[in-house]
Amino acid sequence: MQNNQEDEIQTTSHQPHDHDVNDNDWSNYKDSDVMQQHSAILEQDAAKFPFVGDKEPLSSLANEYKSGSPILLEKIEVLSKEYAGIRRTRGDGNCFFRSFMFSYLEHIIESQDKAEVERIKTSVEKCRKTLQSLGYADFTFEDFFSLFIEQLESVLQGNEDSISHDELIVRSRDQSVSDYGYYAVVMFFRFVTSGEIKKRSEFFEPFILGLSNTTVEQFCKTSVEPMGEESDHVHITALSDALGVPIRVVYLDRSSCDNGSVSVNHHDFVPVSDDTPNDKTSGSGSETNPFIVLLYRPGHYDILYKK
Amino acid sequence: MTGSSASSRKVLSKIATNRLQKELVEWQVNPPSGFLHKVTDNLQRWVIEVYGAQGTIYAGEKYQLQVDFPEHYPMEAPQVIFLHPAPLHPHIYSNGHICLDILYDSWSPAMTVSSICISILSMLSSSTVKERPEDNDRYVKNCRNGRSPKETRWWFHDDKV
Repeated sequence: MQNNQEDEIQTTSHQPHDHDVNDNDWSNYKDSDVMQQHSAILEQDAAKFPFVGDKEPLSSLANEYKSGSPILLEKIEVLSKEYAGIRRTRGDGNCFFRSFMFSYLEHIIESQDKAEVERIKTSVEKCRKTLQSLGYADFTFEDFFSLFIEQLESVLQGNEDSISHDELIVRSRDQSVSDYGYYAVVMFFRFVTSGEIKKRSEFFEPFILGLSNTTVEQFCKTSVEPMGEESDHVHITALSDALGVPIRVVYLDRSSCDNGSVSVNHHDFVPVSDDTPNDKTSGSGSETNPFIVLLYRPGHYDILYKK
Repeated sequence: MTGSSASSRKVLSKIATNRLQKELVEWQVNPPSGFLHKVTDNLQRWVIEVYGAQGTIYAGEKYQLQVDFPEHYPMEAPQVIFLHPAPLHPHIYSNGHICLDILYDSWSPAMTVSSICISILSMLSSSTVKERPEDNDRYVKNCRNGRSPKETRWWFHDDKV
């Protein structure tokens, strides 16, 4: 029941909001103890769940639900026709961005698609201009942008700083904030996502209102830009559009079809580009075949591998 | 844990130093209105004067904010407190600790010293009463060992004030 445990830990990290000052006397309620315990849990969590795990066969997913819901087992059976493996990520609120990052870099390291790297670099430049035009000071985001560009260049082989697939995994698991390693690259994606949402605020506003009943500005400030804030379809749409990278999200939940047959829903986030001013028609697009496939279970994203 | 914010005592990382130097330049070119930062050679601790905004209950009053930067700023939030005497405000404790989400859970490297200052001034300006938080005495007593506000599990008040 690996994942249930992850869910539990996520709840723990959200406790400060639930802490009721009126019910708890400060004198018998030592925050330092609680926080120490909390960080101990996080450390155990870190040992058990690296930021990105090893690639596992899809059967490991089925094992999780062995004694659980039959409908989930049936769905995993359906999934196994199309997908061969899963790579789990840590449930620390950054799992969507980290899954995206790893999946994208892994794709580049395997495909060595130089044209794609050039294309995304152009998108990254646009994102930089977006943030500037929104009034962000360069010094707030430039280090994170450089980090991502360095990452991109390192997965293309033949450079001095090229890294292997193994090294990509090692670096992705690096916990330290000290050297602005892969941990901090999550901030690059948060900046890009926030910039895109604000740039197209009239498009995103209704979705944001539906999610959190706040303004676009407030949503970005509290639910996009801080590390550890979980992602929703708004974040995914914005990131996919901003970087021009399609993303498939496969939903694994207990819902079933009316006619009794078991199918697994997915949604393709297909980027709208500046060149195609048509309305967004995500999901129905016929020839898109996203190379990034994420498995969503309520509150968490992992990476899926096609057969 | 004696809790005196050990992390903020460590020397700033190269990235933190670099970032703070840029923030300082930006502050000098474009200081947020209502604030005065007396520049010293201590990049790791800024002391900033705050002037209560006209038309608010703090008009004409002057306070001091102390901002301490941790080794891994801006990935980690700075510690921001009011120096004595702290303004009377429903979210500011008498020991100078401030209950404001962006200083803790909602901190993001996208923020700057300048944007923190603006949020704090806005928090002051929207207050209609000069009073301490309800749990002031208990909280302050609990902090006597020199605990940093960053070691508190904050329960955030409503954001109207």
